[in-house]
Amino acid sequence: MSLTSTPLTRDRTSPSTAAAAGTVSEAGAGGRAAWRAVAVRALGVAALAGIAATVVLGLWVTPPDEFMGNLVRLLYIHPALAWVMYIAYGVSFLSSLAYLWPRTRGPRWDRLAGASSEVGVVFTGLTLVTGSIWGRPTWGAWWTWDPLLTTTALLFVLYLGYLAVRRIPGDADTRARRSAIAALVAFVDVPIAYFSVLWWRSLHQTPTVDNPVNGKTAIHGSMAWTLLLSFVAFSLAYLWLVVHRCRLAVLVEREESEGLQLAIEQRRSEAVGGAS
Amino acid sequence: MSGYVEAGYLVGLGTLATYAVTLVARERAGRRRLEHLESTPRDDPAGDSPVTYAP
Repeated sequence: MSLTSTPLTRDRTSPSTAAAAGTVSEAGAGGRAAWRAVAVRALGVAALAGIAATVVLGLWVTPPDEFMGNLVRLLYIHPALAWVMYIAYGVSFLSSLAYLWPRTRGPRWDRLAGASSEVGVVFTGLTLVTGSIWGRPTWGAWWTWDPLLTTTALLFVLYLGYLAVRRIPGDADTRARRSAIAALVAFVDVPIAYFSVLWWRSLHQTPTVDNPVNGKTAIHGSMAWTLLLSFVAFSLAYLWLVVHRCRLAVLVEREESEGLQLAIEQRRSEAVGGAS
Repeated sequence: MSGYVEAGYLVGLGTLATYAVTLVARERAGRRRLEHLESTPRDDPAGDSPVTYAP
């Protein structure tokens, strides 16, 4: 399962040197890769168990709300999706900064920014859809141009644009720099969306936990624990998805590099064949 | 229970599961393609033949 057990580029050193130097390092790299694979698998299992527990507690164990009745059960999925959306864009912002900063620049930051943004877009879409499903019975409308809904929809579009920018052809560094700048620009909307319920009159409620206006938490007991569990479970799922998305990005880079080398070598052999 | 609740859970978890399965499938397919590329025989493994390229 690991990608670190094989080198990123074809080894061009002499076989004897490579074998001598490689024996110890390969064993170490293999061991680390095996541990990483186990850790990622454990992360996946923990995320799955957490989400399963959230569903059971959210749908069958926690009590209905005094005002919303059973509709309150959407509380255990919708805010957690929105939370992960903010985390994902935060990670994308920080890794884009790390790429642009000359001391920390490296392809891993670009990869992480891309992976986190893609996962963030999935979570944003789900936040909008689950919010809409919740809005219909409580507000009487699938959609309103409320500040939070509008700025969240804008986030969705901005990060779709960011993912499109990542696909514009160019050499790796130019593409990564361009994408990092796009990520920084898109992130401007994140605090606007988060604070919109406090800054403007909104249909959407203010934060349930640790409300910055009155400092109160309006949820207690099993409902609060289930809400907390949902945040942890979906955060673990986010981590697992980002790890797999980064692995996929590494594979695509290696495939492009190998494909290019193979094409060059074929071209060389054609040229040799033509000359002889 | 309201149909809205079930719909919310179904859409949310169903989409996440589909995305996760797609990622894993793409990763496996990518690994297979890479193994195939790496096992392709090379005419010039050293890559240092003196060659004059045709224009």
